Amino acid sequence: MLCRIPMRILFVVLMGSLLLAACDTTGPEPEPEPLNVRLAADIEADPTSGRDPETGAPISNNLFTLYDLEAGEVVLSSSETDAAVRQQDSVSTVWDIGFRGTTIIFNGGTSGPGDAVAQLLAVPFADVTEAPADGYVADGENTCPAVQTPAGPVPGPPYAICTGSDNGWYNYNPQNNLVAPIPGRTIVLRSASGNYAKLRILSYYKGNPDPPDPTAPSRYYTFEYVLQPDGSRDLTTE
Amino acid sequence: MTYRAICVIWLGAVLGVGRVAAQPTPGGGADTLRSVVLRPIVVTATRAEKALEDVAVPTTVLSAEAMRRQGATRLSEVLVTVPGLLLFDDHGTGLQVQGFAPEYTLILLDGEPVIGRTAGTLDLDRLMVQGLERVEIVRGPSSSLYGSEALAGVVNLITALPDQGEQLSATLRAGSFGTSEATLSAGVGRERAGLRLLLNRYASDGYDLTPASFGPTAPAFTDWTADARLRWDAAERLEVRLGGRISRQDQQGGFALTGPDGAAVRYDDRGHRVDWSLHPEAMLRLADRFRLTTTLYGAGYRTRVRQRRQQDDALYYADDFDQRYLKAEAQLDALWSARHLTSVGAGLVQERLGGDRYAGEADRAFPEARQRYAFLQHAWLPGASVELNASARYDAHDDYAARLTPRLALLLKPAEALRLRASIGSGFKAPAFRQLYLAFTNAAAGYSVFGSTRLAEGIARLQADGQLDQVLLDPAGLDPLRAESSVAVNVGGTVQPGPGLAVTVNGFYNDVHDLIETQPVARKTNGQFVYGYFNLARIYTRGVEAEVRLHPPVGPGHRAEVALGYQFLQARDREVVRALERGTVYGRDPGGREYRLGVADYTGLFGRSPHAATLQVRYDHLPSDLTASLRGRWRSRYGYSDLDGNGLANRPDEFVPAYAVFDATLTRAFPLARRAEAEVQLGVDNLFDVTRPAYVPSLPGRRWYAALRLSL
Repeated sequence: MLCRIPMRILFVVLMGSLLLAACDTTGPEPEPEPLNVRLAADIEADPTSGRDPETGAPISNNLFTLYDLEAGEVVLSSSETDAAVRQQDSVSTVWDIGFRGTTIIFNGGTSGPGDAVAQLLAVPFADVTEAPADGYVADGENTCPAVQTPAGPVPGPPYAICTGSDNGWYNYNPQNNLVAPIPGRTIVLRSASGNYAKLRILSYYKGNPDPPDPTAPSRYYTFEYVLQPDGSRDLTTE
Repeated sequence: MTYRAICVIWLGAVLGVGRVAAQPTPGGGADTLRSVVLRPIVVTATRAEKALEDVAVPTTVLSAEAMRRQGATRLSEVLVTVPGLLLFDDHGTGLQVQGFAPEYTLILLDGEPVIGRTAGTLDLDRLMVQGLERVEIVRGPSSSLYGSEALAGVVNLITALPDQGEQLSATLRAGSFGTSEATLSAGVGRERAGLRLLLNRYASDGYDLTPASFGPTAPAFTDWTADARLRWDAAERLEVRLGGRISRQDQQGGFALTGPDGAAVRYDDRGHRVDWSLHPEAMLRLADRFRLTTTLYGAGYRTRVRQRRQQDDALYYADDFDQRYLKAEAQLDALWSARHLTSVGAGLVQERLGGDRYAGEADRAFPEARQRYAFLQHAWLPGASVELNASARYDAHDDYAARLTPRLALLLKPAEALRLRASIGSGFKAPAFRQLYLAFTNAAAGYSVFGSTRLAEGIARLQADGQLDQVLLDPAGLDPLRAESSVAVNVGGTVQPGPGLAVTVNGFYNDVHDLIETQPVARKTNGQFVYGYFNLARIYTRGVEAEVRLHPPVGPGHRAEVALGYQFLQARDREVVRALERGTVYGRDPGGREYRLGVADYTGLFGRSPHAATLQVRYDHLPSDLTASLRGRWRSRYGYSDLDGNGLANRPDEFVPAYAVFDATLTRAFPLARRAEAEVQLGVDNLFDVTRPAYVPSLPGRRWYAALRLSL
């Protein structure tokens, strides 16, 4: 008998909220167009073709893949080795973000002619509904905590999203040689053309295998992002 | 000081002292240091003989008879039945005590360290059970007496002294997976001297838990061990003992790698190991109240690995490792009165390393290091029901910072059936060889790792070769590496509420700091890093070990014993705990939703089960000399690996599921003519055929065996 009253209250509350929600959607005020989460799958980031038997260095083109978030397409692939083509594309402001191995660059600062800036938030992707007003840096502007030593921190290579395991977007597990994106980390950026976006890496391996498979071909990014084309910092999705 | 010098001094001292001791001394009577007690005696906890129940630190003893009736052949099979001890697979079968990885537990043979670890693990399958009188296990730090490695605990294998009379025994055992063991033991003893020789052969065809891929999970091997023990009352007050052991192993495995064309390329993997130890010891009663024990201990451990491509026999990988250890030690025990006992000792250790990975970059010189130490222990009995034991040890080493390690332990006996124990102490583990002396470049991956003594030289050489892009920190400005160390508290006791029932509980807390980890110190032009070793991490382990031992009344002619053990464990990295408290650690579900992880979600370091339990049931039918034994062990799920980038186990596929393994044996002894006896044993390990192929390679399926022992 005791549980009947709360159930009734719950029912009333539920019905009421449904009615309110119905009223909202039929309201006369025009809603801004909801943003979509867009997915980029298996974007190659300078994949290796083996290792140099002498030096042990991975054999690759050592080139970036440049990606345009607005168009949702690769501008220049790391497999493109023609110097003239590369020169033409890399100095453009069409691309926003570049990938080479675990290094991510943005079209600005020391990386490109654009004004792209970025920062890494320790906030889940879904919870970032508004891009922060400040805190952004361009590549080359910041210092990265690459090495914590007894002699104090030693700066790593200066990228907006720091390189190195546990410094930026990924964690390297020496036990199984897995590079895994850190959950709860969201890259927020202002693109080369001044629009805000949030982005999270889902996989570093071809085919986004689950469970993550360190033996799958690596240096293939799968990531998702939300881009606000109107210049505002609102990143609410539908 | 060289090896030879140490040996010569020791021999000279023993012989010189022997001549003095040979003089008859008036009044030289009973040995006051060793009273005749029928209760189990242990030596590990205090470096002196003491009744097990009167030891102030948590100690367990396994008798030879119990080990034999369990059908055990190797040390791993024995230790796994002890509550709170778990096995840990990492380059061999290692031991986990109070949540610590194998490198933090010291393994002793007659009080001297067994050497030869791979990645910190001393493979317990290397050590046979035959020829032992008992195995003693001390939990909690004993570095105040034994120095490095005695941080989580100490396991001491005590060999049996040669008996009086003539003995000859042979044991044959055969079982699944082509496993066989043969032991031949012969002894002869008189009142003043005795000698025992033992030869053991242990072999297996190996097993394969993943038949789909080429290469066995455990390789085929043949192990030989020869062991000799000598006791000799050289003079009235001088007792000399000599122990020697040599063992060798050959193993044959294989594996497949994916070639450039995607096809599997097969490789043979051959390993060869030789290890030996020689252990002379002289005990001299200087007067009724003083005893001087001098020890020399030499040990060697050599391994050789060759991996060759099957199709053309081309060498793919080769590794040689050679470790020598020499120790000279003297210990003086002084029984001032019935209430005060002091032990003081000092020693010198010299170690030498050889092997591909340890050769100096420039001069190909092999590292050699010296260590000097001294320890002091005082036991004080202020009353009949209280004992206080304080000890401390000072270790100075060539290549890491010297340290002082104390321990204080208290035993209370408020009632005959109650023992309370409390101890606080420090433990330490010296930097491993690789952390001090490694000079290694991985040709396949392009990175380099240098031990702390090699870092400056290695960086300079890479820089001269133009291989460095950026040096992140100056190796000249670094402090010397410190030993990893802990402060630990153990509190517990034993209560016997009634006849045939004993309950033992111990709570422990280990706070560990200065754990050594690699950090990049320079970036190479190939994009890879140069790594060095630094004192960085802090962890803690805490938990409770408990055991209930029951002898149910089963009537005359029968004997039964049931033992139940349980351990609760939390082993945690402090930095991870801090990050969880800050709320910056997330998990990601298959749908992509990210969720925050809290401290309550932390399952601890990988490989640690929060809960573990053991069961032992033994029944003896005395008229027919029949023993039935059932052993079980269960461990709750434990983190195995991180797959989603947050550094800890949270996804279901990051855990090894809980499992239980049961073993059973049936043993019957038959009297033969005169003193001769035969013993027949049938057994099965892993009765329910539990395997975890991808996670626990040391867990083969069900194994049957039969054994026959003849003794004259």
